[in-house]
Amino acid sequence: MDLMVTLGPHLLNGLALGLLFALVALGFMLIIGVMEVINLAHGSLFALGAYVAVALVTPEGGLRLAALGPYFATPIPMRFVVALLVAPIVVAGVGMGLEVCLRRTYGRDPLYGLLLTFGAALVIEELIRLVWGPTERFLPVPPSISGGISLGGLIYSVYRFFASAFAVGMIVLLWLFLQRTRYGALIKAGAHDSEMVRALGINLKRLRLLVFAFGTALAAVAGIVMAPIWGVRPHVGVDAVVPAFVVIVLGGVGSFWGAVIAGLLVGMVVGLTGAFATAWSLVSMYILLIVVVTVRGRGLLGKKSVLEK
Amino acid sequence: MKPMLVTFALFGTMPLWIEPVGLYRYLGVEIMIWCLFALGFNLLLGYTGLPSFGHGAYFGVGAYAMGLTQFKLVANLWLGLLAATLAAAIVGGLVALFISHRRGIYFALMTIAFGQMFFFIASKWTSVTGGEDGLLNIQRLPADFGVVRVSLVSNLAMSYFTFVTFVVVTALLWRLVHSPFGKVLRAIKQNETRMAYLGYRVFVYKWASFTLSCAVAGLAGGLFAMAQGGAYVQVMSLQWSGVVVLMTLIGGGLVSFWGPVVGTIVYFLARDLLGAYTESWLLWFGLMFMLVVMFKPEGVAGAWQEIIARVGARRRARAGALQPAAGE
Repeated sequence: MDLMVTLGPHLLNGLALGLLFALVALGFMLIIGVMEVINLAHGSLFALGAYVAVALVTPEGGLRLAALGPYFATPIPMRFVVALLVAPIVVAGVGMGLEVCLRRTYGRDPLYGLLLTFGAALVIEELIRLVWGPTERFLPVPPSISGGISLGGLIYSVYRFFASAFAVGMIVLLWLFLQRTRYGALIKAGAHDSEMVRALGINLKRLRLLVFAFGTALAAVAGIVMAPIWGVRPHVGVDAVVPAFVVIVLGGVGSFWGAVIAGLLVGMVVGLTGAFATAWSLVSMYILLIVVVTVRGRGLLGKKSVLEK
Repeated sequence: MKPMLVTFALFGTMPLWIEPVGLYRYLGVEIMIWCLFALGFNLLLGYTGLPSFGHGAYFGVGAYAMGLTQFKLVANLWLGLLAATLAAAIVGGLVALFISHRRGIYFALMTIAFGQMFFFIASKWTSVTGGEDGLLNIQRLPADFGVVRVSLVSNLAMSYFTFVTFVVVTALLWRLVHSPFGKVLRAIKQNETRMAYLGYRVFVYKWASFTLSCAVAGLAGGLFAMAQGGAYVQVMSLQWSGVVVLMTLIGGGLVSFWGPVVGTIVYFLARDLLGAYTESWLLWFGLMFMLVVMFKPEGVAGAWQEIIARVGARRRARAGALQPAAGE
């Protein structure tokens, strides 16, 4: 019982981390599914989302327009909500631009798509450095969800509760979207067989654009929610996107719940090793991955997919 | 054969002209080492068709092995280089056991995961690797040929030594890709399933290709540690692993053996020339790279081959047009 009590805060950390990893991974997986492209720029877009949020929440965040004076006079919670709504749209716009560039690589070796997004990652990261500088920024949190609460003698961070709840909400919404709407059905069909989708008279071009916008917007949302926990640095994206890769392979490419379960597993493993065996905290998820993949070649819930060709 | 002679002539005479043209000798050493790395990497990417995004790790393993041999075992250049090559080959060979049955995107994701794992191990295992500070004060040991000992402390001597290593390894790689083994690798790139049905043990070939390219990466890493006098963890990061892919592709590694050499030269010249004007040279380089992938995905070598083919076709067309005229 004593152990369980001391574990509490670390489990909460792991939970928040894992759910956010799952969110990044799901956006990334939508793109892999429909486009068959590994979007290496996903991490940079995650970081971009956080930076745009910083610009929208703090006056010294880059938007130095006099006309915005009254806007920055509004209370922080208001600006935080605006950031959560506007920043993903901005990032989705960048993502759509990237998809337009990617069009030239369709039908060629998938390697080229991967390389194009690697180039885009370099460009976005350098642009961030150019606009916001290389120093670390902080995203202020509304007072109502900051600070800590005491439960059973231990202090839990309120923000991590918020982050976990928010991520759960997003994951459920995403699942409902994929399960219950026409576009969701199209995205799933596109991941299964995009040629057939086109043959049935669906505008595949528009679908791909939409999926890319949607996937990158999810990265941005995760970036914003993660920002108060991790801080905002130009290369923060790598720290998020590499666990997302791990989550996808671990959960099985193409499996929604596989990614969620794997995200939770990775988050818990990172959170717990971070608390009890710090030296192992950065390596533990890879060991988990290697062990699982050695036993189950396609990950936890993976099925045979077109991507194995 | 012609590109080989051009490359060797260019690199062999480099110490003579690199200072008069306004560059510096150490740049030449750097270029040759990274060419070596990229050529070895292209055995995997260009010939076997396996995209690895974690190859910086093996370069780093080589660099650390070089330093550790010198500090902990024996200060001998040959043993250091041998240790660098073997260490990277062993680590790479073990990793290859886990990933050689995979293809495409799965393969790429697994190489990223392994690469990151080694990166974090190297950055945290301070007692062995020096952690974030790196292994400092790696000496350029003299090359001992029994009768003579040649000091490599000057960049001039280092240039020639790197050049000789480059020639030897490149010749071996060239021989390898033109051997039956190389043909099998290329066939695997085209259609792995068919090769398996034909009775080739695809796993073994992929494993060998990965391990060999790791060995070359380790040798290059060992040379690099020696050249810059230290081994640092940064080269093992995801970004540096990506840079090697970028060098290989921008030059045209998918269509030419020499593509990686061109790409490496382009990268370092861009770094020094663009870098002289702007801090954010990677921004411009990244944009250039995106344009290359979009419009000339076969890279510099691809564009060159296209020009040659077009000129040849025009010459033939002209010769064809003249023929009937002469007949009349």
